Amino acid sequence: MEFNTVDGVVEIEPQRDGSTFSSNGMLLEVGSDLWLEIDGRKYKAHATKVGDVWWVHIQGHTMRFELIEPGAAGADDDGGMVAPMPGKILEVMAEVGQEVKTGQTLMIMEAMKMEHKITANQDGIIQEILFQVGDQVEQGAQLLNIE
Amino acid sequence: MLKRVLVANRGEIACRILRACREAEIEGVAIFAANDSGTLFTELADISIQLDGEGLAETYLNQQQIIEIAQQNGCDSIHPGFGFLSERADFAQAVIDAGLIWIGPSPTAITQMGDKMTARITMRAAGVPVIPGEEVEGGLEQVLALAPSVGYPLLLKATSGGGGKGMRAVHDAADLESEAKAAMREALNAFGDDRIYIERLLVGSRHIEIQILADQHGRTIHLGERECSVQRRHQKVFEESPSIALDSELREQMGEAACEAARAVSFEGAGTVEFLLTPKGEFFFLEMNTRIQVEHPVTEMVTGVDLVREQLRIAAGEPMSCGPLSMRGHAIEVRLYAEDPANNFLPAIGKLQIFKPPTGPGVRFDTGVRQGDEVTPNYDPMLAKLIVWAPSREEALLRMGRALDEFVVLGCVTNIRFLRELCDHKDVVDGWTTTDMIDRLWPDGWAPDQNSIITDAGLLIASSCEAAGFGKQLSTKSSEHISPFTTLNRRFP
Repeated sequence: MEFNTVDGVVEIEPQRDGSTFSSNGMLLEVGSDLWLEIDGRKYKAHATKVGDVWWVHIQGHTMRFELIEPGAAGADDDGGMVAPMPGKILEVMAEVGQEVKTGQTLMIMEAMKMEHKITANQDGIIQEILFQVGDQVEQGAQLLNIE
Repeated sequence: MLKRVLVANRGEIACRILRACREAEIEGVAIFAANDSGTLFTELADISIQLDGEGLAETYLNQQQIIEIAQQNGCDSIHPGFGFLSERADFAQAVIDAGLIWIGPSPTAITQMGDKMTARITMRAAGVPVIPGEEVEGGLEQVLALAPSVGYPLLLKATSGGGGKGMRAVHDAADLESEAKAAMREALNAFGDDRIYIERLLVGSRHIEIQILADQHGRTIHLGERECSVQRRHQKVFEESPSIALDSELREQMGEAACEAARAVSFEGAGTVEFLLTPKGEFFFLEMNTRIQVEHPVTEMVTGVDLVREQLRIAAGEPMSCGPLSMRGHAIEVRLYAEDPANNFLPAIGKLQIFKPPTGPGVRFDTGVRQGDEVTPNYDPMLAKLIVWAPSREEALLRMGRALDEFVVLGCVTNIRFLRELCDHKDVVDGWTTTDMIDRLWPDGWAPDQNSIITDAGLLIASSCEAAGFGKQLSTKSSEHISPFTTLNRRFP
C-alpha cells in the first residue's frame, strides 16, 4: 500500500504471519496493544486512524502517514493556495490578472487571534480570487488560483 | 473567608482555580460557553452555568452577564484567572460595584500597570529601571518619525497588549511601515486600541520575572524568579525556576525592585514583575502582570507556596500564610500547544483521539483537556502544562525529557517533539537561554530530528494496522470479553 509522508509517496507491503507483521528486519505484534521488536528489544507503540491518516507514536516520536486509497485522484494542488487553518480574511493584496512572484504576500488571514500571510507558491498570473475581506474560511479551503 | 467563588475563565486555569477552591473548602462556580459544554473544568465546579451567546464577546468577555450569574447564584467573589477579563480595570470595578469581592489588585493598580506608557512613567518615578524607548501617541506617522531615534532592531508593542499579540520585531527600516500597520491592526482587533510603542530590542537578553504576593496587612514579598527566555513569536514555551543567571545577591536586588514596583501602585494579591536581564547583568522593567500567570507552577514547586490558595486568602482579607522565602531544587514547565512546530508553529485543530499524559515522580500535569476532546480554533491553542521538579537543573531536564517521551497525543498536532529536542539542546542544557534563541537555533524553521529507523518503524506500524484493521478491531473488542462483575449477579462494595 502507498502513503503520503513528509518525504513524499512511500510504498510498503509488510509480510504477514498471523498477527505478526514484518518489514526491514523489524517485527510488529498487532493485538490489543502494539509491540514493535527491533534487534530483540520490544517497544510499545500507539496508533490511531483519523480519516485517511494513520497517527503513530513510538519512542517519543509522533508521525502521520496518509493512506492513498487505490484509484483516488493524486494530491494535485498545483497553483491553488489553501487556508492553513480556519479563520477570517483580513486583507487581499492581489487582483485577478495580476502577475505575481513566488513568496509574494497575496492575502492576510487571521486565525487563532494571530495574523498569517498567504504567499504565492509559484510565479504566474492570478486567475481567481475566491474570498473577500471579512469572509470566514474553512481549513483547506482554496483561496486563490495562479497559472 | 470566601464562601462561593465564580471562576470567570475556562480550560486549564479554570481547573486550577476550581481545584484550589475545593481544597480551601470554598464552593466553585464555573461558567462556560455552549462550545465548552462537557469539558473538564465544568465538571470540577460545584455549580456550572452555561453562558448565553456565541463568540468571546458574548460569553467569556461579557461582563454584565458574568456579574449577573454571580449574583443570581449567591457568589461572594470572582476570580478572573489569566487572559480574558483578568486585566480589565473596568470589569474589576464593576465586580466591586456589584458588591462582590474581586480576587485581584485594585482597578487603579490594574490601570496603572495595564497601560504600558503609564507603567513606564510610574516605574521611572519609583526608581525602577526601564528600557530605552519612545512612547507613540500620534499613530503611524509618528511611529515612522520616532523609529530612527530608538534604533534597530526595534520592537513594536501594543500599548494595552499582552501575550505577543500586536507585537512585532523590526530588523530593517524597510519593513517598518508594513509591520507597524500589522501591529496596529492586531492591537485593534485584540484589545480595541491601536496605540503602540517602540522600544529597543535588547538582543541576547534573558526574560526574568519576579513573583510577588501582597496582602491587605501591609506585607509585600517576592517569591524568587522565573526564567522564561525561551519564546516563540514572543510567547513563552519553556519556563524554569531558579534561573542560572541569578545569584542570591542579584535575586535580592531584582526581588526588591519588583516589590518596589508593586508598592508604587499599592498592589494587592498575586502579580508578576517582568524584567529583561542583559548579558552585562543590567536589568530593566518590562511590565507587571496584575494576575496569576500561566507559569506560576514552577514557583509553587520550588517555594512550596500555593499561589492560588494565597490569592483566595488575600482577597478574603486574611494575612498570607507563607513565611520567609526558601527555594529548593529546580522546576521546569513546558506548555503543550496544539500547533505545528515544523510549519512555523501554526495552530492546529483535531480530536485528541489518544491522549496519555506522563506520570511518575516529580511530574505535575495541569490540563484543561483529556482524551476524546476536540481541539477547535475557538480558543487559545494552549492545551496543558507539564511541570517537573527535581533536586537539580540537570536532573529536572532529564526528568522532563523522560516525561515528554511518555506523553502520547494522537489526532491533533502538538509541539511535544519540539519541546523534547529543546530539553536536549546543548544551549538549553548549558543554560544559554535567551529570548531570541529559537530563531538562533533554528533559523530556517524547526524540523524533527528523526532517524530512518523511526520512520521505517512508523510506516510498518501504519501499514500493519491498516492491513489488520487495527482500529475497527478495538471498537468491537469490548463485547468479546465479558466482565465477571457483570455476569455475577451481585454488587461489589
